[in-house]
Amino acid sequence: MSELAETASAPARAPPARRTGLAELIHYRQLIALLVVRELKVRYKRSIFGLLWTMLNPLLLMVVYTVVFATIMKAPQRNFAIFLLSGLLPWLFFSISVLQGLNSILANQELIRKVRVPQAVFPLSVVGSNLVNFTLSLVPLVLLMAVLRQPFTPALLFLPVGILILTVFTSGVTLLFATFTVFFRDVRHLAEVALQMLMYLSPVFYDLQMLGQRDAWWFHAFRFLLKVNPLWYLLDLIRSPVYYGRLPSLQTTGIACAAALAALALGYFVFQRLSPRHIHYL
Amino acid sequence: MRNGEIRIRDAGVSYRLYREKVSTLKEAVVNRFRHLRSAEIFWALRHVSLSIEPGEAIALVGHNGSGKSTLLKTIAGVLQPDEGEVVTQGRISPMIELGAGFDPELSGRDNVFLNGALLGFSRKQMEAKFDRIVAFAELGDFMDMPIKNYSSGMYARLGFAIAQDVEPDILIVDEVLAVGDERFQEKCKARIGDFRAAGVTFCYVSHSLEAAKELCPRAAVLHHGRLAFDGPIEPAWARYRELERGPAPGPQIETG
Repeated sequence: MSELAETASAPARAPPARRTGLAELIHYRQLIALLVVRELKVRYKRSIFGLLWTMLNPLLLMVVYTVVFATIMKAPQRNFAIFLLSGLLPWLFFSISVLQGLNSILANQELIRKVRVPQAVFPLSVVGSNLVNFTLSLVPLVLLMAVLRQPFTPALLFLPVGILILTVFTSGVTLLFATFTVFFRDVRHLAEVALQMLMYLSPVFYDLQMLGQRDAWWFHAFRFLLKVNPLWYLLDLIRSPVYYGRLPSLQTTGIACAAALAALALGYFVFQRLSPRHIHYL
Repeated sequence: MRNGEIRIRDAGVSYRLYREKVSTLKEAVVNRFRHLRSAEIFWALRHVSLSIEPGEAIALVGHNGSGKSTLLKTIAGVLQPDEGEVVTQGRISPMIELGAGFDPELSGRDNVFLNGALLGFSRKQMEAKFDRIVAFAELGDFMDMPIKNYSSGMYARLGFAIAQDVEPDILIVDEVLAVGDERFQEKCKARIGDFRAAGVTFCYVSHSLEAAKELCPRAAVLHHGRLAFDGPIEPAWARYRELERGPAPGPQIETG
């Protein structure tokens, strides 16, 4: 549309020129919100506890893991439940978003075939609904902290920033996997296995202090793997303030931010590039 | 460009047809991605140029598989052309399928807002339209019921009620008028008449000359993805009949 001037001088009637790219996505932000609401409404339909499940779920998980790790395997941390949840909840937010999100284009194919809509809204709304779940699951965590007398420090004020950075990262990865899944359906299975492995390379059940020091090549190789895993830094944004009661280091925050922005940029551009061809593969 | 204008210049939409459909990584690796090279390209639409002025009404005709739907979807922006360009100005109300995007689990009310958002409206804008939509759909008490409990007629009524309230500059109708009971069909036709009177550009796909003649003075005939005729509706229909009678050659596939 080259005659921008003409459009601008036209009578102030609502419909403007057809938006594209980021502007279109921003215009459709309310659609993302509605899709999030739809997802939550449909998920908790006909369940007596409804949204309570979101809060109950991590508590029940925690009971299982705490029994396994703290009692049977004798984990050294005090308040192991808090240690575990502060890693597990953000991990679940990330991994469930990716696994649900990669299906979102296929799940909404009927719509994509019939209505012009920026397709990125579907994976992003999955991330959004999981963000709501994640935030709600922090409520039992806080209750548990009070019960176990885990100190509340000002570092907790950093949590919203940490969650934001983690959400940016998760969005990028989810967009990337969502578009790949359209072209190769086995990405789904690949992602399931990869996420399983990644969980053990991430600070969910343990952290660096628990590893100690060993002078063996395999140990150095393992530590290297941990250090190149962006989740190592991203998950620390949550665990540091919650469990250790201190801000994550500047280095950790910097690396996490860089990883998040890189993931979003990559995910967004690949998605935008490939999404016009999705319709041929649905 | 003016609002309601559609410019189609040498547009082409292609599909890759794979001899063997490869959609898993294993198959792709085993074949060493041969499928990407051996794919045949099928042009569902090619070298189509059309100019539609604001306020004009045009019928798109052609037999099944002629590319009508592809052209319609390209105008609606659902499909991107692989060749040439399709440019439109203004808001489009695509009545390609009524109620596309309805979620059966949600209530009629929720679906109105969801559908509105899909068409690019804000919550506020939809709130202003809501009562009108309910009145037009004549669904009253059913609005708070999940729409999976709706009859197909109710479903279509709600779909049309939303689509008719989007203040379009371009209205795309794909034979959706064959839904609902006779009274509701009359109501839909009357509404489309209002739009025509208000100067909305109108693209209509139909297999019925009577319905098309009533609404459109101009028609474009598509045949195997090419534009076979563009002009007044009577000769266009004659051309369509002629093409229909001719031997139907298979779809043209070009190896690429």
